[in-house]
Amino acid sequence: MKITMRHLFLMLYVSLAAGVLAGVLVYHLHLLHPHFWWEKLPVFSAIYGFIGCIIIIVASKALGHHWLQKEEDYYD
Amino acid sequence: MIEWFHPGLIYIFGSLLIPVLRGKMRVKQAYLLLLPAVAFINLLLMSRGVLLSEGKTWFLSFLGYELTFGRIDRLSMVFAYIFVIASFCMILYAIHIKENWQHVAAFFYVGSTLGVVFAGDLFVLFFFWEVMAWSSLFLIWYRRTKAAYGAGFRYIMVHFFGGICLLGGVVLQLQNTGSIAFEAFGWGLGSEYLASYLVFTAFIINAAVPPLHAWLADAYPEATVTGAVFLTAFTTKSAIYVLIRGFPGVEILIWLGAIMAVYGVVYAVLENDIRRLLAYHIISQVGYMVCGVGMGVFGTAAGEMALNGAAAHAFCHILYKALLFMGMGAIIEVTGRSKLTELGGIYKYMPITFWLYMIGAFSISGFPLFNGFVSKTMIVTASAMWHYSIIWLMLEGASIGTFLHTGLKLPWGAWFAREEPVCEAREPPKNMLAAMGITAFLCTLLGVYPKILYNMLPYPVHYEPFAAGHVVAMSQLLLFTFVAFWLLRGMLHGTPTITLDTDWFYRITGKRVIWFCEGPLMAFANYIDHNVMRMAGFFVWVSRNPMAALRIKGEEARLKVEKPIATAERAAEYERDLEEVKKRQPAEEPMVRLNIGNAMLLVLIFIALYLIAMFIHGWLIK
Repeated sequence: MKITMRHLFLMLYVSLAAGVLAGVLVYHLHLLHPHFWWEKLPVFSAIYGFIGCIIIIVASKALGHHWLQKEEDYYD
Repeated sequence: MIEWFHPGLIYIFGSLLIPVLRGKMRVKQAYLLLLPAVAFINLLLMSRGVLLSEGKTWFLSFLGYELTFGRIDRLSMVFAYIFVIASFCMILYAIHIKENWQHVAAFFYVGSTLGVVFAGDLFVLFFFWEVMAWSSLFLIWYRRTKAAYGAGFRYIMVHFFGGICLLGGVVLQLQNTGSIAFEAFGWGLGSEYLASYLVFTAFIINAAVPPLHAWLADAYPEATVTGAVFLTAFTTKSAIYVLIRGFPGVEILIWLGAIMAVYGVVYAVLENDIRRLLAYHIISQVGYMVCGVGMGVFGTAAGEMALNGAAAHAFCHILYKALLFMGMGAIIEVTGRSKLTELGGIYKYMPITFWLYMIGAFSISGFPLFNGFVSKTMIVTASAMWHYSIIWLMLEGASIGTFLHTGLKLPWGAWFAREEPVCEAREPPKNMLAAMGITAFLCTLLGVYPKILYNMLPYPVHYEPFAAGHVVAMSQLLLFTFVAFWLLRGMLHGTPTITLDTDWFYRITGKRVIWFCEGPLMAFANYIDHNVMRMAGFFVWVSRNPMAALRIKGEEARLKVEKPIATAERAAEYERDLEEVKKRQPAEEPMVRLNIGNAMLLVLIFIALYLIAMFIHGWLIK
């Protein structure tokens, strides 16, 4: 069977769901040793990963666009 | 009986034979691989206590100083092991190179790094520190492009500055304490810590701590394909080693490290050059280690965790970063292209390279079961144990960026991103693939059996990396990073630009200085020169015939004064007269020639006058 994009996306959805489920499970089985209050939230890492990634891309692109990025022959 | 043989000298002296080996390529290749193997056996013998064992030192007496070439303890051994193991893989990757001196430069580089690792005093440290800088320079220059020459010059200038700081610090330290031992430096505020500050500056230059980091992202991507792989490991990680030795628990390092981790990530978003993107991730990853050193207060559980974490992360980082550079180097080797805007769609030509690269990418991103996970989380956990909430968030945030760039954006842009391949490609030479294979195997091995690594670390490890909480949190973080990447992947195409960094200050300043010298300064010099010469010419003209000159000048002055009030006819007459005077009395030749006798007479008269004046003066003041 040839693996298509459909299969890959299916795998992605399953693993996303599994990740969230595992988070909830770990929380209820009291396997966490949190040092900060946010570590007690079962899906904190998922949210941080998603939002953090968007912030990194958008903020860096803005920084580059308005300030840091120059033509390739800038120093020549 | 030889008590000890320095592993670094195996590389340095061993490399001198490389240019001598002529004839069969195979023989030379075997010899190249033999040297790291011998060094590895040497280390094993040291671990077993056959040669000089842990806790011992080996020194040479020289000019009244004890130069400690060998300080063997758990910390120096763990770094020595990884440098030797990595060098084996890197040499295998470079074994097809025919230029002997490129190999020699690489061997000197590895050997001097081992010299730094085993150095027990500041003189030996400084010596190998300089060898390291100069030998690595040639790995850049051998690329033989204009960009490589320029970047190499800037690279060596920065390291030259660092070397001067180190030397100054060493001399001051010797003056202050009378000792050249390389131990933890005193730290605090005040002028008595100047020696510490200087040495600290030298160390953080090599660790590429912003704002002193720009040499790394400037030079590494311009190095040769194989040379860049060496460069990724030794300079920055030996800097981490000396920071652990010299400045453990210095608080400013915590913040510098966390800023570094995020800084590299931000720049990686903007990069178009595939190896420069990876270079920014060296800065980011070394940031974790610097942060770990900063948290490494002796005698505390969290501090020992942090120092263990820094050493472990250096160990793992060397492997996966070498693997990543090998992967991107393979692309450059077969396509000759290094920009994301010029790559894409070539997966079908080089799937093996892609998957080996991805093992490196999973490792650096900290996927469970790959080696980045077992070391990076130690540092992050240490920051939690110290309750540094902002540091913790910065380090976790940098993990997101790491996966985003090295794990997603870069492979996506280089191998996929387009329907049709942009150019022909193929798998790289077999030795390159083999080197990548071994490195990838080691990354996975340490990820699955972290005990191998943990048993080597300087302090006993009380850490369980595969605790459910860690694994789940990391998996969630990376999975949802992927989701955000997929949604925003349109924004992540490379753009044909470069990104300004702190090298702007010396590159532009340098350009401005040259412009100033060539423009205004030269114009000023010309102006002065011209006028001085004109004045000199005038004096020559006057001295040829002072009387005539005086007369001409007098006529000219009269003309100037009388012209405005005189009638036109009269003025014309004056001008004619002046021309006449000038013509009649050409100042080319002096009117009166003095012969030597007369000249002597004049001189004697002057001296007599002078004597008389002196005499009168003396008489008057009596």
